Amino acid sequence: METPVLELRDISKNFGMTRALSHMSISLFPGEVHAIVGENGAGKSTMIKIMTGIYPPSSGILQVDGVTTVISGPQMAREKGIVAIYQEPMVFPDLDVAENIFISSTREGFVQNPGKLRHKAKQLLARVGISLDVERIASGLTLAEQQAVEIARALSQDVRVLIMDEPTASLSAHEAAQLRRIATKLAEDGVSVVYISHRLEEVFDIAHRVTVIRDGEHISTRPVSEVTSDGMISEMVGREFESLFEKSPSVAQSEVILEVKDLAVDEIFSGVSFDLHYGEVLCMAGLVGARRTDIALAIFGIHPASSGTITFKGQPLVITSAAQAMKAGIAYVSEDRRKFGLAMPMPIRDNITLATLGEFLSRWGLVNRRKEVEVAEAFRKRLNIRTPDIELPAGMLSGGNQQKVMLAKWLNMKPDLLIFDEPTRGVDVGAKAEVHDLIREFVAAGGAAIVISSDLPEVLAMGDRILVMREGTQMGILSHEEASQENIMALATGQASAKEVA
Amino acid sequence: MGHLFSRISPQTLRILALLVVLLAIIFFFSTQVPNYLNGRLFNRISSSVAIMALIATGQTLVILTRNIDLSIGSIVGFTAFATGSLISQNPDMAAPLLVLYAMVVGAAFGALNGVLVAYVKIPAIIVTLATMALFRSALVEFSNAKSITSSELPLWLVNFPNTVLLKFGQFQLRAGFAAALIVVLLVHFALARFRPARRFYAVGSNPEAAEMAGINAKATVFAAFVFAGALAGLAGFMFLARFGNITVVAGLGFELKSVAAAVLGGVNIFGGSGTVIGAFIGAILVDLIDTSLVRWEFVSEFSREAVLGALILLSVTADAVLMRRLIGLRANREKKLARAAIKEKGKTSEVNTPKQTGETAT
Amino acid sequence: MKMFKTLCFASALLVGASTGAMAQAISLEGGQDVDMVLLPKFLGILVFDQANEGAQEAHAELNNPGELLFVGPTPENSVAGQIEIMTTSATQGQGAVMLSNNAGDQIVPSAKAAQAAGTKIVTWDSPIPSGEGEDVFVAQVDFGSIGEVMADMALSILGGEGQMAVLSATPDAANQNAWIASLKEVLATNAKYSGIELVDTVYGDDQSEVSYNRALALVDKYPDLGLIMSPTTVGIQASSKAMQDEGLCDQVKVSGLGLPSEMLSYTLNGCAPEFALWDFRDLGYLTYYTAYGMATGQLSGEIGETFTAGRMGDYTIEEDPGRPGSKRILMGPFTVYTSENVEAAAN
Repeated sequence: METPVLELRDISKNFGMTRALSHMSISLFPGEVHAIVGENGAGKSTMIKIMTGIYPPSSGILQVDGVTTVISGPQMAREKGIVAIYQEPMVFPDLDVAENIFISSTREGFVQNPGKLRHKAKQLLARVGISLDVERIASGLTLAEQQAVEIARALSQDVRVLIMDEPTASLSAHEAAQLRRIATKLAEDGVSVVYISHRLEEVFDIAHRVTVIRDGEHISTRPVSEVTSDGMISEMVGREFESLFEKSPSVAQSEVILEVKDLAVDEIFSGVSFDLHYGEVLCMAGLVGARRTDIALAIFGIHPASSGTITFKGQPLVITSAAQAMKAGIAYVSEDRRKFGLAMPMPIRDNITLATLGEFLSRWGLVNRRKEVEVAEAFRKRLNIRTPDIELPAGMLSGGNQQKVMLAKWLNMKPDLLIFDEPTRGVDVGAKAEVHDLIREFVAAGGAAIVISSDLPEVLAMGDRILVMREGTQMGILSHEEASQENIMALATGQASAKEVA
Repeated sequence: MGHLFSRISPQTLRILALLVVLLAIIFFFSTQVPNYLNGRLFNRISSSVAIMALIATGQTLVILTRNIDLSIGSIVGFTAFATGSLISQNPDMAAPLLVLYAMVVGAAFGALNGVLVAYVKIPAIIVTLATMALFRSALVEFSNAKSITSSELPLWLVNFPNTVLLKFGQFQLRAGFAAALIVVLLVHFALARFRPARRFYAVGSNPEAAEMAGINAKATVFAAFVFAGALAGLAGFMFLARFGNITVVAGLGFELKSVAAAVLGGVNIFGGSGTVIGAFIGAILVDLIDTSLVRWEFVSEFSREAVLGALILLSVTADAVLMRRLIGLRANREKKLARAAIKEKGKTSEVNTPKQTGETAT
Repeated sequence: MKMFKTLCFASALLVGASTGAMAQAISLEGGQDVDMVLLPKFLGILVFDQANEGAQEAHAELNNPGELLFVGPTPENSVAGQIEIMTTSATQGQGAVMLSNNAGDQIVPSAKAAQAAGTKIVTWDSPIPSGEGEDVFVAQVDFGSIGEVMADMALSILGGEGQMAVLSATPDAANQNAWIASLKEVLATNAKYSGIELVDTVYGDDQSEVSYNRALALVDKYPDLGLIMSPTTVGIQASSKAMQDEGLCDQVKVSGLGLPSEMLSYTLNGCAPEFALWDFRDLGYLTYYTAYGMATGQLSGEIGETFTAGRMGDYTIEEDPGRPGSKRILMGPFTVYTSENVEAAAN
């Protein structure tokens, strides 16, 4: 039998009292795409960090090419050809694209030749299948572009094991497909690709073998041909799982809460008009660069609109700051948890009460700690936030649970309109269903929601109506009955106009 | 011209903006101070900035990695004294050896900072605040609280900074300034082109990503402090040569001036971006304002510090506004170009694939 | 008898016209055990080291079994450091603190507390401006006469008329400000100096680099400037070096208070043709004798009291003319250094 490039044998990892990985064994062979699936918190990130030398295992051994090896850090992992690409892209915002790709390269000479570097960078990006000005400073790149830069960085070296942790979470369907093609091609070239994704359809699309892990333990490893979607999900969650993507009936009322007319921000988007009813979920679909987030930011007052009108609860509203929007009853749950959403080093409790601290003040203007704890505990139970303690820093939680803390923070404000930007990006199936239920609960109680999502099944499952954007232009609004994955994509890619699909 | 404009990097733009501010300040003072604009002004500023330029360069390296070195003035003082006492005891010592000695002593102090910040993981502001006092006290101990005077130094050393290399009318290129300029340019080139040096930017830009990308962030931060120390040591040598008289207060207050120069020169105080040339111009700005204020009748001795602070603030503001303007202009141009390009492409793709209907968007 | 007459004569000479009356000089008895602190403005300046040498000499001479501590703050922390050392000295029960005050009247509360604890406060070089918390001030020279000495040097260097600027230490140094005030007064009141114009006063913070740059800025600001007067040893040295470096010695001369060893080359090459100073060793020596006498109770510190300060002869406590209500002992006199005598003094 062929020797695995990388093998974990009986690896365990403890963090203090908690056991993150327990007796994990897995073999990675050259030329295969090996999918690893599991709920958030199942131990996937810990496993990757052990493979790339960020964490030393508490027990067990790693073998590279059949030789027991201690990987002392990311640098050594790189030398062994083990590279990971993470869910949150890791770029250097102040460096340009070409430098971002080659910054840690050991092969380019001591003195850089910018011209040569740019040329090589272009070639690598072409391999990734994206065209990008390599002289651009990375701080202006979209998440998808940052991802591409990271992959190009991995390709710049002799990568033997490429670990992709949720690489498509932030990509549009089109870009995700492209990325999967790259992964497949790399495997054909003999690279061992580890592919972690919550999009199960992707797993079926490209994986050769699938490993399911749960609660830090290895559950199964099978060729993809022997795996079914339902079987995989039930192994992941450890219980039978009812279908996620069934649309629940609309609870929309006739009264309009928000009316947006001809909204525009110069040079970004224009001509956005829609109504939103109490009890309604409006989904915004589109590819990366469709400017959906910018619409949300305009309504939320962070980048105020340059023209157009917003009528909220019957009152014309000119929103110029987030504080004003919040006061009016509008909340925005950001896509970028790290940058806009959570104060990662602060305790979960503080994050939940941050936006509404005013309500927790006692008579003397001091924060009423007990009340804070009560509220935070209530949310932990209600949203099923998986943490042993609400005093832990928010940064310690897994992606899905961070998302729930964000939700708790805004729900606590008791808003009338909630805008969710990619609410389930990087969130596992179990938590996804929980988030969906929470949104439905919220609108059933009389609120209204705008959900921005690149995940088409989610759009179809959540949206009473679906607004499709393309490059700053509103392509049309589809009712739930009219909408299908195909016609949303047709609008989003500009292959059809609203009239044609309706 | 327009094409050229859009090709200029933001770093170059920043330096251009700074030069505009510099000229504005020179112009302002030339209207306020009689007999201001002449070769003598150039000679004054160039000689006195030679020392600060080196320190600002060292400070820049540290700031790039998201740290700060407040002990840099004390390192200058210590090395100035140590170098002075070495040469006064061995008057025949060769010049390169003496320079090397100064840099090694400085680097050793930098290494202590570096170990504490990078490996022991104490915040740089705490470490260097402590070592600032520590190194200064070490100087008091080492010197036995005595001072060095220029009469104890060999003539070549004392004469070195003011040796005129080139002369254009009143304008003199002096050895001290020339040496500093060469160092600044070397470091600038290294930072721009040397692969290991680029890691200063990477680590300051996104420390987490640097670690993930296999960059040894600790070693990088450590190196930044060591280089800063060595540059401070070199500055100490220059200080000795220029002032001759070294007391225990030598280099006092240089740390804040160097931070001011670096930040004024466009080095991001949060790390990751900035250039040494920028910091160099920043140092010139600080020195120019400082010197010119003494000559300005309008400001009394006692309000000078306040006016200096206000002017530095004003320069930073002017620079930031100017910078935003230039970048905005450039972005607009890029957008226009891009739109033109899309239109071009749109036409051709319509010809090729007449089925597409979504192209009309903007 | 003859001996006694000589002593009286000497003391009369030294005490000068200010007291007039002749008193019996107290001879201090050595060997008494008392701990004392010599507290300079800050460490690291040559003149303070010299003062310490003088004090150590007296300490040995008087056979004091106690300890003489030379402690001072670091320069950047001078004011707070002096106050702290003063406070500590009081709690340690030091017999006397000999202070060259750099903290203005901010030192008063801690000095008073020290006095209350039985510590004698003898100031030297730079007094406490209000005189509070101070037992006696050992003045190096008569502060009023410093102005005159500086004006005379300016007159001789400028040849009767011209522009002069002052480069001082810090804006809150009591002795500096007193000297500059006395210089201004002399210039304004004595017609002899009517040709001399004092155009500016700047501060070099007793730092070489600041003083150096300030001196050059003065030259640039006043194209007709003929003289920089710097009554501080750091300032005069930095100014001289600046003028020499820029080749300005023919145009702008430097004078003030300087140390012969530091000023030797500048005096010989004409950059600083004349400067003045007193002997800091003597100042430290006299200060020690005064403090020892008071701390051991041999001196009461009353005006008119005369005592013998070892090799330096007899001194009398008198009222300070510059600070009414305060007491001083005047050391005097000045030495003016020129190319004639500087070499001998430098070694």
